[in-house]
Amino acid sequence: MSRRTFSKLALASLALAWLPLTTQAAATIDQAAPAFSGKGADGRTINLSDYKGKTVVLEWTNHDCPFVKKHYDGGNIPKLQKDAAAKGVVWLQVISSAPGEQGQVDGPTAIKINGYRDSKPAGTVLDADGTIGKLYGAKTTPHLFIVNPEGKLVYKGGIDSIPSSNPADIAKADNYVSSALTALAAGKKVAHPSTQPYGCSVKYAS
Amino acid sequence: MDRANFLLMAALMSTWLALLSPSAQALSSQAATEQVQAQLVASVDAVRPGDQIVLGVQQRIIPHWHTYWRNPGDSGIATTIAWSLPPGASAGDIQWPVPSRFNLGPVTNLGYEKEVTLLSSVQVPDDAKAGGSFPIQAKVNWLVCQEVCIPQEVQLELVLPILQKGAATGAGSPLIAQTQARLPMTNPWPIQIEQRADKLALKVTSPELQSAKVKGIWFYPAKWGQVVHNAEQTRRQQGDTLVLDLQPGEDPVLAGGTLSGVLVVTEDGGDGAVSRGFTVDSTVLPGVATPAPQPVDIGLAAALGLALLGGLILNLMPCVFPVLSIKALALLSHADQTPAQKRLHGLVYTSGVLASFALLAGSLIALKAGGSQVGWGFQFQSPLFVLAVAYLMFAVGLSLSGVFSIGGSVAGVGSSLAERPGYSGAFFTGVLAAIVATPCTAPFMGGAIGYALAQPAGVLLAVFLSLGLGLALPYLALSTWPALQRALPRPGLWMERVKQGFAFPMYATAAWLVWVLAQQAGINSVAIALAGMVVIAFAAWLYESFRHGQGLPRLAGLGVASLALLMALVGGYVGINASPSGTASSVQMTPGTDQHWEPYTAQRLQELRAKGAPVFVNLTAAWCITCLVNERVALNQSSVTSAFKDAGITYLKGDWTNQDQQITKVLTQFGRSGVPLYAFYPKGIDAAPVVLPQLLTPEIVLTALKAAAIP
Repeated sequence: MSRRTFSKLALASLALAWLPLTTQAAATIDQAAPAFSGKGADGRTINLSDYKGKTVVLEWTNHDCPFVKKHYDGGNIPKLQKDAAAKGVVWLQVISSAPGEQGQVDGPTAIKINGYRDSKPAGTVLDADGTIGKLYGAKTTPHLFIVNPEGKLVYKGGIDSIPSSNPADIAKADNYVSSALTALAAGKKVAHPSTQPYGCSVKYAS
Repeated sequence: MDRANFLLMAALMSTWLALLSPSAQALSSQAATEQVQAQLVASVDAVRPGDQIVLGVQQRIIPHWHTYWRNPGDSGIATTIAWSLPPGASAGDIQWPVPSRFNLGPVTNLGYEKEVTLLSSVQVPDDAKAGGSFPIQAKVNWLVCQEVCIPQEVQLELVLPILQKGAATGAGSPLIAQTQARLPMTNPWPIQIEQRADKLALKVTSPELQSAKVKGIWFYPAKWGQVVHNAEQTRRQQGDTLVLDLQPGEDPVLAGGTLSGVLVVTEDGGDGAVSRGFTVDSTVLPGVATPAPQPVDIGLAAALGLALLGGLILNLMPCVFPVLSIKALALLSHADQTPAQKRLHGLVYTSGVLASFALLAGSLIALKAGGSQVGWGFQFQSPLFVLAVAYLMFAVGLSLSGVFSIGGSVAGVGSSLAERPGYSGAFFTGVLAAIVATPCTAPFMGGAIGYALAQPAGVLLAVFLSLGLGLALPYLALSTWPALQRALPRPGLWMERVKQGFAFPMYATAAWLVWVLAQQAGINSVAIALAGMVVIAFAAWLYESFRHGQGLPRLAGLGVASLALLMALVGGYVGINASPSGTASSVQMTPGTDQHWEPYTAQRLQELRAKGAPVFVNLTAAWCITCLVNERVALNQSSVTSAFKDAGITYLKGDWTNQDQQITKVLTQFGRSGVPLYAFYPKGIDAAPVVLPQLLTPEIVLTALKAAAIP
């Protein structure tokens, strides 16, 4: 065997050892929130990195899902969005429904629907291929994630503590998102960083 | 208007009002939505005071839609029933039949399709009046989904007459009994749940579950967040025990907490698959319950340093020393080579060692990723590997004895000036050195490798490469620095003698490996191995006889040699696979009459420690030379055995010759990855174990016993 063959063999065996090293970015509390870049409903590109230095809320949504409607029809989420904007928090909606599935809309329609619901988020990310949803492990609509100004994930889970489609439960429940935002503004740790998300399943392509 | 019309109007109006009043509304025991037909049924046709009855809410769901279980999975909401019962009556929690799984991409839901009846026990009060009626109302809320989800609510009512005590109450609806058969059963087998590094191991000891009829086993957790719903639950068999690996979720159960849920077993029934569920409600154990020391956290730099040192020391171990010496002799034989060529030899040898260690690290990483518990030297737990190395050692011995030589490479002595420098030999000698090094754990190495195995893949690789570098360093140094080479004696006939002499450690290694093989695969494997060696010797002689010839005789000779070699390999492979695998009681483990030790089991250790009895644990393996030497030199010495007896110390010996998960676990707890491990648990329930060094003398053992003795 020639010298060149061994070097190849040697390198090949070294290369094999590196195979299992490929890992996926995951959304873990107190770790850096996975970076993403997506198309906004208004046509601009939305990058998570653009908002470094600000608190960012990611809200996975599907306007036809009864659980999303529970929080929009009575004005619960629109109010949270307005309060967030007033405090300088960036609230982004993310729509990960696949084409043809419930909730998937194009940019102009998404803006129109927000208009009907009096919802004013800082932006709406159209994630039709589900990449950003799968990157974060978004399972339900609504599913909420909060990223702190340093870029770390500090909250993931449901919007509040009572999983149901009954609007009457909103007043009785603990709203995890507003508590987390209040804690962050006061420089304190979020009390419940990971809670059970509830809602319809995110309509990824099947 | 006249009186007749007035009366008519009044009658009409009162009828209207009567119809409009709420008390005229009549609920039914059946209700339907577009997707679900619901029905309220009971286990009886009438009730008596003090009775306990079972009610059921049946959902008949249109195809492709589903409702949810108590834990709906990644999304969805469980069905709820709000009962309205007469005063004094109470209803119990919903009893849920065995659920199924629905996967929608990365989202997994747990629930029911087609039909399900949710049961609830109801207690009729003692003061119910016979002759009256017992109205039961249920407000049922559910979420029914296909691709979209619809929350729905129906109200159902069932009115049962109250009879006197002793009267017959009728059979009720057959649905109740049918559904009770579909409820999860109490688990008949022992279940243990252990927390491992990044998963929960659910162990069920049941020979029935090994039957070929069992198509699938899945654990459904009762609460969100305890287990990842869409993660694969790999199944492993350990003798009679089935181990299911569960991935902990966002809200994992910690050691000491309880994991509840349903274990669903799907079998091949007469017509199609049949699923049965078994309730699981077990405490999560941290592993062996005795107090174990924290695994040593030594830091990357320290681990690399220790690995390097360990590699250097490995050169002196009986496994590696002959190979190193042969290489040094080879270097001397090429005294006519240029310094550059010698340096290159050294580098190629080093690359051979590093490549082998990288491959070893790679396989460990892959095995860890696959979830196996592995340790250092694990490759020697496979009888095929042991046979292969035994053959290799024998063949190298033959080469050293001069029976044959491969292009002047492995031994290198006697090659003519015209021959190639033999870089292939250098590389493969490096690989050989790495292979034979593994069963010898030197001091320093245990800690470094134990640390590395718990770290991410990159660190593991770095530590192993550092180890390889340490192993290759002496020869690399020799080949690189002329000054060192000048210190080597001048070549001469003595070199040929020494080379032939070094064949014998090789033969001895082969003989020892055949003994290890006998432990692992039984007495027949010895015959297979020895026969294989005879054939290999024959092949070697043929090869040497014919390779310098020409034409047909050469071809024929080499052909028969290759055939013979193939026979030895195939025969060995087939023979070993057909042999029964070694059990824990190999030759060295069979208790003798004046036995001073007992076989190690986690249970026995726990038993003894619960009493506070002192225990000495020795974890060993037949292929671990360091272990065997320690036993001969220290642990089996009469001074030590009598000291054990006097202090009432129970000596537990654990055999890791073949795969043993229990022992691997204990090694991991002590921050080690391979044998030997010597742990002394002093007297007293809370006494922490003392770990002894990996090279023992009787003095070391006796001092440790005295130091730990606290009356």
